[in-house]
Amino acid sequence: MTTKKGIIIGGIAIIVAAFAYLLYGGLDKNIVYFLTPHELLAKGTKAVDVPVRLGGQVKPGSVKWNDTTLALHFIVTDGTSEIAVDSKGAPPQMFRDGMGVVVEGRYGANGTFNCTSLMVKHSNEYRPPKPGESVQEMQKTLIKGASS
Amino acid sequence: MNWRRAGIAAALVIPVVFVFSRGMKIDPREIPSPLPGNPAPPFALAVFAPGQPPLERPIGDTVRLADLRGRVVVLNFWASWCLACRDEHVGLTDVARGYAGKPVTFVGSLYQDTPGNGTQWIAEMGGQSYPSVNDPKARTAIDYGLYGVPETFFITAEGKIARKITGPAPPQVIRQIIDSLLTTTSSP
Amino acid sequence: MQSVNGLVGHGALLLALPFIALGIIAVPVAVNRGRRDWLEIGYGAVYANFALMSAAALAMISALVTHDFSVSYVAQVGSRETPLFYTIISLWGALEGSILFWAWVLSFYGMTVVALNKSRAGNLVPYAAMTLLCISLFFSILLVGPANPFHVVSPVPQNGPGPNPLLQNHILMAVHPPLLYLGYVGMSVPFAFAVGAVLSGEAENNDWIKVSRTWTMASWGFLSAAIIAGMWWSYEVLGWGGYWAWDPVENASFLPWLTATAFLHSAMVQERRGMLRVWNLNLVVGTFVLTILGTFLTRSGIISSVHAFTTGTIGYYFLAFITIVLVTGGVIVAGSSDKLRSKGKLDSAASRETVFLLNNLFLTAFMLTVLVGTLFPLVAEAMRGVKVSVGGPFFNRMSLPIIAALLFLMGVGPALPWKVASKAELRSKLIPPTAGALVLAAAALIAGIHDPYGILVFAFVGYAATANFREFSIGAAVRRRAHGESWPTAFLRLVEGNRRRYGGYIAHFGVFFVALGIAMSSTLRTEREATLQRGMTMQIAGRTLRLQDIWGREEPQRQVVGATLEIMNGNRVTGTLEPRMNFYRTQQEPVPTPDVRSGVLGDLYLNLMAFRPDGSNATIRAIYQPLVPWIWFGGGVVVFGAIVAGWPTARRRRVPAVVPVPAPPKPPAREPEYAA
Repeated sequence: MTTKKGIIIGGIAIIVAAFAYLLYGGLDKNIVYFLTPHELLAKGTKAVDVPVRLGGQVKPGSVKWNDTTLALHFIVTDGTSEIAVDSKGAPPQMFRDGMGVVVEGRYGANGTFNCTSLMVKHSNEYRPPKPGESVQEMQKTLIKGASS
Repeated sequence: MNWRRAGIAAALVIPVVFVFSRGMKIDPREIPSPLPGNPAPPFALAVFAPGQPPLERPIGDTVRLADLRGRVVVLNFWASWCLACRDEHVGLTDVARGYAGKPVTFVGSLYQDTPGNGTQWIAEMGGQSYPSVNDPKARTAIDYGLYGVPETFFITAEGKIARKITGPAPPQVIRQIIDSLLTTTSSP
Repeated sequence: MQSVNGLVGHGALLLALPFIALGIIAVPVAVNRGRRDWLEIGYGAVYANFALMSAAALAMISALVTHDFSVSYVAQVGSRETPLFYTIISLWGALEGSILFWAWVLSFYGMTVVALNKSRAGNLVPYAAMTLLCISLFFSILLVGPANPFHVVSPVPQNGPGPNPLLQNHILMAVHPPLLYLGYVGMSVPFAFAVGAVLSGEAENNDWIKVSRTWTMASWGFLSAAIIAGMWWSYEVLGWGGYWAWDPVENASFLPWLTATAFLHSAMVQERRGMLRVWNLNLVVGTFVLTILGTFLTRSGIISSVHAFTTGTIGYYFLAFITIVLVTGGVIVAGSSDKLRSKGKLDSAASRETVFLLNNLFLTAFMLTVLVGTLFPLVAEAMRGVKVSVGGPFFNRMSLPIIAALLFLMGVGPALPWKVASKAELRSKLIPPTAGALVLAAAALIAGIHDPYGILVFAFVGYAATANFREFSIGAAVRRRAHGESWPTAFLRLVEGNRRRYGGYIAHFGVFFVALGIAMSSTLRTEREATLQRGMTMQIAGRTLRLQDIWGREEPQRQVVGATLEIMNGNRVTGTLEPRMNFYRTQQEPVPTPDVRSGVLGDLYLNLMAFRPDGSNATIRAIYQPLVPWIWFGGGVVVFGAIVAGWPTARRRRVPAVVPVPAPPKPPAREPEYAA
């Protein structure tokens, strides 16, 4: 009776330990650290080619997007350090200078960050469109363009 | 009922609650902001709403961060079209009045709005005890990396950003932060 | 000035508190002193709670519809430009409203529980009602405190910002949240019965398990529907072409689903064999804790997510409540574990019990995996102060083997008898489905799946589907021979005669569809992105897309920019798609509205990514994913199975009398519903 109970408890312990090990291993390989450019550069080569989420602001004037090749370049800054980001695909509509962004990807040995996903940080607070980005303006030219 | 076991089970809850309560104090939405600890971006903005005595500043006067060295600065970005700003307005105005005479300066900065709307809103809300400045083209807001309004920055007497609050700032939190900044600066 | 809506709503909320408190006190008085009249007071409080919550909810709906901006919640989510439909459903669009809706549903369930069960003898129902009132008390405190939706806004704004654009962009938002709440809140009832059973000393009876099972079944059906609707919404609205991202909010709805699924299976083992009694208590309590934990995680802002609500002090209330719930749960489970030793024991490894045990083991492992992955960032930040996120690869890697194992068990379980299976039975039941496994594995290879887990999922689905189908066909064949019925009649009677069992198998089939849909769409997805001028084309999955037009349009609450694309098969135009981007008046970011053409075999999914303001070009992302609609269809089948299995059995007793079947000699006892 007691040996049987012992076997059961031992079995359960082994299963739990194996499961915990699997979980740990899975986590260890798939944790994505959230870093600012400064923190990332401070890590040196340890930060190269591992999945990272880089958070910061889009450096004003650094955004270059080619809508034919879909290549998007910009610089993420935290005020002290800067990292150039390479991305592919259209930027989010309201992607603009000074905006908070989180880019997920890997930092390459060549000193650029290869971005696989780009998230614009925005608050839930609302605001009216800026004069420069007024949709009405876009609308008007668009409707005109469509009818001609 | 086996109370010994029940007690053990209840005790196991403690670490879980501990982790959650630690987690509550951290804002997961916050990008580790580059700003706290760094020098606050300078600004020089014109007052459009004077505030009330004793915190009053004349309309048209320029508020310069550089002139406010030695004082704790509470910089609150707001707008008349922002509903959450209504929530914090009364609290903020009261707190500001409470610190009159202490080395603390409150500045409201109007974001994406016209001074006309702002003035009317202040009147509707029953006044604002501290002055508000206009931030044309949101240059200052961009310098501060604003996510949205309301957002409140706390700047130390040395001109560094100590903290920021995204969303409506609860009065007790504002007081806590100011008090801690006052004690660290005035003690030496 | 408070409006009538505000006055009625706020008044009802305030009034509910003393009623609830009275009910909570009345029950123990009634039980301990044997006072029947106090019990009536307790039950009366349950009804009053429902009446008052209904009044508050209706007052809120009225305030929303009449654009009464003096009510804070309306000022927060209402706008005069929002269409009526979205105005009404914004009742659950933001935090305060969703808490009100939650409290309303909870009060409705409380009333239903009392109305259906109050004639039951013993103290189980009174204590269950008391537990539900305690949960109601928490939500009522939230509603008069930090989540009060009826604050007076002064001066009254002329207009509001309108609901979150993401939530007014699609009709599914009308469906997903209420289903989720119906499911989530429903899990409170089994928990209430578990607490009731322990408090009344009736935990050893199976009574509470039976009631809990019925309620879990119903809530599980709602939760399943909600998860699928949420996936569908995310697919149709968020514009990235996927439907599941292991986002904390998605995980929060999935966690209690896993434990509830485990309970639905293990409850059968307890009813049938008297085993797993402590375990079942664990599952019931765990499911409830997970619903509250999920709500806490998503409402307190403790974890960031696309779906999370903005925060306030409400998180601390939830923290306090979750502490109370965890302590209560821990105490009742651990405290009564001595009394609930197993009555039966495992007779053989080759039996249905064993399969159920394994099923529970894997479902629990699945739940723990998702829980660890969801909470890890929180723990890491609290303990080490680092910000991390756990990527999708973790969840995928960990869950695939578990999913494969569960699919396999779904084929083995139904085939095995209770207690012990003979060698011959094993051979005749377990070998034929292998043919199904081979067929689907071959199909996967032909379709082009090279991922080993993809092939494995197909094979196990083939195996399990064949095994489940054989349960129907063999059963119907027996009836046909015995009663001379036609095939359809035999099928219907078979299901009717044991709805719980066959309803379960129907739900299994739903899961098979979902599994195939996910396996195909995730392994064989193709994606292209291109910037097109009018008349230019792009290729995707053997189709040609031609950009016909880029246009703009003004709507009351938003401005819309869209692109019209023709889908061409050779030179023939087979359809058009119009992905759009909606610009809401009060939102800084546009909300994409992808356009999808669904076919039985797959979806063509277009999203407008960017456009030149002069309308000269547009960047389009095109995604082709096979079998996506199977996921939605499978979800429907799962829900249908839950309805078949869980529909109240009141009318069933009359059925045998009407059917002209030569009655067999009366069985000694009523045949168990789930007879093997």
